[in-house]
Amino acid sequence: VTQTLLSFEQSPPLSVPAPYFVAAPLFAGAAGLMLFFDPSLFQSRWLPGTLALTHLITLGFFALVMLGAFQQLLPVLAGAEVPRARASAWGLFCAIAAGTAALAHGLATGNPTSLLVAIGSLGIGFAAFATLAAWALFRSPSRHPTIRAMGAAVAALVVTAGLGLALAWGHTGAGVPRQWTDLHLAWGAVGWIALLVMGVAWQVVPMFQLTPDYPRALVRATVPGLAAALLLFSALTGAEGEPARWPGLPVALMLAWFALVTLALQQARRRRLPDVTVHFWRLAMGALLAAVMVWAGAAAFGAATPALLLGVLFLTGFGISAVSGMLYKIVPFLVWLHLNNLKFATGAAFTVPTMKQVIPEVRARWQFRAHLFALCLMVGAALDPSEIMTRIASAGFMVSAALLGFNLWSALALYGRLRRQPAAGAEAIGT
Amino acid sequence: VSERTLDVSELEPPEPLVLTIEAAEALAEGDWLRMLHRRDPCLLPENLRRRGFDFFLRAGSRTAVEVFIWRAGDETARLAAQAAMERRP
Repeated sequence: VTQTLLSFEQSPPLSVPAPYFVAAPLFAGAAGLMLFFDPSLFQSRWLPGTLALTHLITLGFFALVMLGAFQQLLPVLAGAEVPRARASAWGLFCAIAAGTAALAHGLATGNPTSLLVAIGSLGIGFAAFATLAAWALFRSPSRHPTIRAMGAAVAALVVTAGLGLALAWGHTGAGVPRQWTDLHLAWGAVGWIALLVMGVAWQVVPMFQLTPDYPRALVRATVPGLAAALLLFSALTGAEGEPARWPGLPVALMLAWFALVTLALQQARRRRLPDVTVHFWRLAMGALLAAVMVWAGAAAFGAATPALLLGVLFLTGFGISAVSGMLYKIVPFLVWLHLNNLKFATGAAFTVPTMKQVIPEVRARWQFRAHLFALCLMVGAALDPSEIMTRIASAGFMVSAALLGFNLWSALALYGRLRRQPAAGAEAIGT
Repeated sequence: VSERTLDVSELEPPEPLVLTIEAAEALAEGDWLRMLHRRDPCLLPENLRRRGFDFFLRAGSRTAVEVFIWRAGDETARLAAQAAMERRP
């Protein structure tokens, strides 16, 4: 029996997660803009601007969406309201958003003041978030695998953020061991992003895409398997000074297993209604498999890891695709949930729109096409980082981010219109 | 006294919730609703209670979960639903 992860009574106001979901595509768009004006950033993962670009995506997009979604879940998990939910959500949002902008500026320019602002702001933000999440997760009576995966992902985020802050400190002129970058990357990509997507998938793929449940063996093996591989990688890298490659093998196998199972489950959908989120998830799994194969190919032939191509496949192909697919369920569902609640509480005259009316399928489908096109261009630019190719790819990426932002914004605006004008709300639906 | 049956096992959230609430609201006195679903309905219990309905929930035979719903205070419907629930599938 599944755990109740959503509740009317404990749901915070929509204004709590909304800024996170609106700002995330803006940060992705900013990353695209940065690449457009400096296409040389695709020459190496180590360029200061490339590090800035990466963090606009990882912190500005992934962290904000994750934190926004957590705002919704915290009171439900804890079985209690978050104290001063609206103020704490806004404070956390400002800390992470401002810290991300400062970090991107500091990494790109080497400005120590920006880096110090970023360290302070992100340090406070992630410490506050980790405290809130730990409070909610420890109070939760549920032992649902998704909850365990979330707990592990939050722990990995704390490790990632801790290493990241130390590395940022290193950029101010202090000395920090270089191999910490690989630890930071491994804990962030595998322990935080991949594990969180996997844990959430166990719940949302069967629920929203009407697939069978994930196999128990996969669900049970994921958290201990990935945690063991990360700890081993950390121990070996810490001891030897050079990043050890072989702990990547069990990680690659687990990620491939997850991707293949997800694709197989989607083939076994009960009803094959058109659903753009299925396309987003298929693309995410395809990109994850491609990333695993690129990594394994390089490892098998003893070649250098093509870091930029892997980054594009993992972050844009896997991460952004899966998170976009989730956003196209989360945001319409929350809008529907809150309007339904409002109508019940106040007896307002408007008709509650369906999820397909909140974000019309055709608009989401256009954004999916733009995202797919942008991903292909980005892969092309990673393989051939010429100025023209990189500029075209970054333009495609910006178009996709803008369409995603517009779709999410219009959904939240529809809620605002109906909430303010309940008597005339029915006319606003579908506009 | 009559039983209404609603199979929402192949619908995507939140349709199972919306259709079940609509079907429950349409129940006449003495009638009860048997709702069939593929999974535990997350939001349904809270919504039913708020709208003045009582219910039982159990593992089903045709689908993973069956929910038996009637208006709170409608003894005839409650007894009929309970009798149906006690007849193992």
